[in-house]
Amino acid sequence: MTPNVKRPRRKLVARPVTFSPFARSAAHLASAYMIKRQMIENKLHESCQHTPNGKCCGQRNIDETDSDSDEESSEGVVQADFAFFDPKPDDFHGVKTLVQTFLDNEEWNLSGFVDLILEQTTVGTVVKLEDEDDDGLFSVVTALNLGRYKASDIYMQLALELVPLLIRRLFCRSYCDSLNRDDVVNSMGSWLWQDHKCMKELEEYILSVCHESNLVEQLRLLFSKRARDVGLLVSQRVVNLPPQLLPPLYDALFDEVSWAVEDEPTEELRNSFRFKTYLIVTKIYKHKKANGKLEKKADNEEEPVIYVKAEDELFHELSSWSFSFPLKIQHVTSSEASIYLLIFNNILCPRTLPSFSFFTLIFLFGTLRANTKAPVTVPSAVSYNVNLLVSAEELRINGVGYGSRSRQNPHIPTAVALSDRR
Amino acid sequence: MATRLQFENNCEVGVFSKLTNAYCLVAIGGSESFYSIFETELADVIPVVKTSIGGTRIIGRLCAGNKNGLLVPHTTTDQELQHLRNSLPDSVVVQRIEERLSALGNCIACNDHVALAHTDLDRETEELIADVLGVEVFRQTIAGNILVGSYCALTNRGGLVHPHTSIEDLDELSTLLQVPLVAGTVNRGSEVIAAGMTVNDWTAFCGSDTTATELSVIESVFKLREAQPSAIVDKMRKSLIDSYV
Repeated sequence: MTPNVKRPRRKLVARPVTFSPFARSAAHLASAYMIKRQMIENKLHESCQHTPNGKCCGQRNIDETDSDSDEESSEGVVQADFAFFDPKPDDFHGVKTLVQTFLDNEEWNLSGFVDLILEQTTVGTVVKLEDEDDDGLFSVVTALNLGRYKASDIYMQLALELVPLLIRRLFCRSYCDSLNRDDVVNSMGSWLWQDHKCMKELEEYILSVCHESNLVEQLRLLFSKRARDVGLLVSQRVVNLPPQLLPPLYDALFDEVSWAVEDEPTEELRNSFRFKTYLIVTKIYKHKKANGKLEKKADNEEEPVIYVKAEDELFHELSSWSFSFPLKIQHVTSSEASIYLLIFNNILCPRTLPSFSFFTLIFLFGTLRANTKAPVTVPSAVSYNVNLLVSAEELRINGVGYGSRSRQNPHIPTAVALSDRR
Repeated sequence: MATRLQFENNCEVGVFSKLTNAYCLVAIGGSESFYSIFETELADVIPVVKTSIGGTRIIGRLCAGNKNGLLVPHTTTDQELQHLRNSLPDSVVVQRIEERLSALGNCIACNDHVALAHTDLDRETEELIADVLGVEVFRQTIAGNILVGSYCALTNRGGLVHPHTSIEDLDELSTLLQVPLVAGTVNRGSEVIAAGMTVNDWTAFCGSDTTATELSVIESVFKLREAQPSAIVDKMRKSLIDSYV
């Protein structure tokens, strides 16, 4: 063995085609096409199978005559049927991927959080392809009650601290390696405190990034005294999910919340879904030069704020209050980020709980500051030039089932038109 | 002894680290806790080296090595190569190879005696692997997958392969590699074994999603429970003491 022998370094003149820029772009197009094969472009017709107790395994397909392919590289239109399912434990990996950047790049008990989402089968929806049995998840939407995952009183909290210590003591004596000890503690404690850890970390993170003192106080209140009325709205999806799915998706969520209020087995669970406040954490792009004002555009054509998710613009307008803070994660656009937190009142989704006259909706937005030099529409990570016309009337015209559903809902926000931005 | 950890909320530990019997490579840019967990476990036994390869953090999948040497792809910069040569023990030969398949960690699974290679690897690369790493190279597939480095985690004492590997394949591979093999998963059902964990003869690091069952399988197949770096010395000591009983 002569490792020091210099092997003749031949110049790789005839490089394999995979290394050329052309081949790279060809491969990129091919992969984009593969994704498109799974994405809906047109022809969703709705047939919904709601069961009265709120479990919706409906098939949502929306008719659309003017299918608009929104990426320059699309070659053909593919049909795909999406279906909404209840969260299952098998969905763990898909949901975890979607929720990965929920709290920026903070290290927290993400797996525990995903487990919480998955065990709440009555409220929450995952979007998958209808026919295939694969685990490809496209979206997850759910609402978690913050108060439910709290230790109820001081004795419980003491127990949470002491019991692991006691267990560790016990197992220290016996021959038991650290692995088994930790697992015993974890499994015994999972119903007591493992769930709580992720919510606690989430609350601490939100409190730590909020730099406006008056809002911090309100947040603290929400997380402690009023936690039982607060619902954390988790809505994550792949960037280019067809927007036609959004109204049914949110409808399903709020339907399930209202059904849960009536149908949950225990009184406590029923009350836990009577949300008075929704908290939304989300990401937006914020123009570097925009100094916190969202109402007006700057003098040029660049928008001050770009919403990664279309419905966020609507929620933003309706929120009671909000704040933003910068994201540390470097997104594809390699621009800085800042996050908004918004709080609304008088939300238009009270159909879920008709007994409450108004809501407060809290938003947390994550924004990415667009580079002032580059036009805002350039980043491909934001599917910005999406023709989004989402209104109940539109869909009814196209034969979609708001009208055909058994429950009429007069409170849907109408005419949410986010026009095509190029 | 198996440890669970994560790299920036990501449970794919085998992507961001490379563990052998003589050294450990760790990606830069992670939180200090990631680095310190390796340090705590490996302490003074073997050096823990922070590095990047080709400016990326996915070092576990780009390089392949054992106690004799380390193979890095052509995308490694000169500074990184020099840093590796400086930080690793002198007995470890660091060699940069020109190979079309540059993710060597995905293409090569090796321990100190034998290696499995991607079927499409160059003949020259195969010779280099045999020279630098001091191993016998076999071109194989695992459960029909040609990326043997991804779907197999291998040490001198055992191996864990893709869960869908058939019994016949398991027997065949086991005979080739001369170690016991088990088909299993890591990180709560992930099939990409080598991305989810990294292992050497006495310790393993797995993603934090790994269930207790998976962890016990890992500990038993790699014989980690009784393994210590100075196992040989301890064994001799025990036999000495036994003689007095």
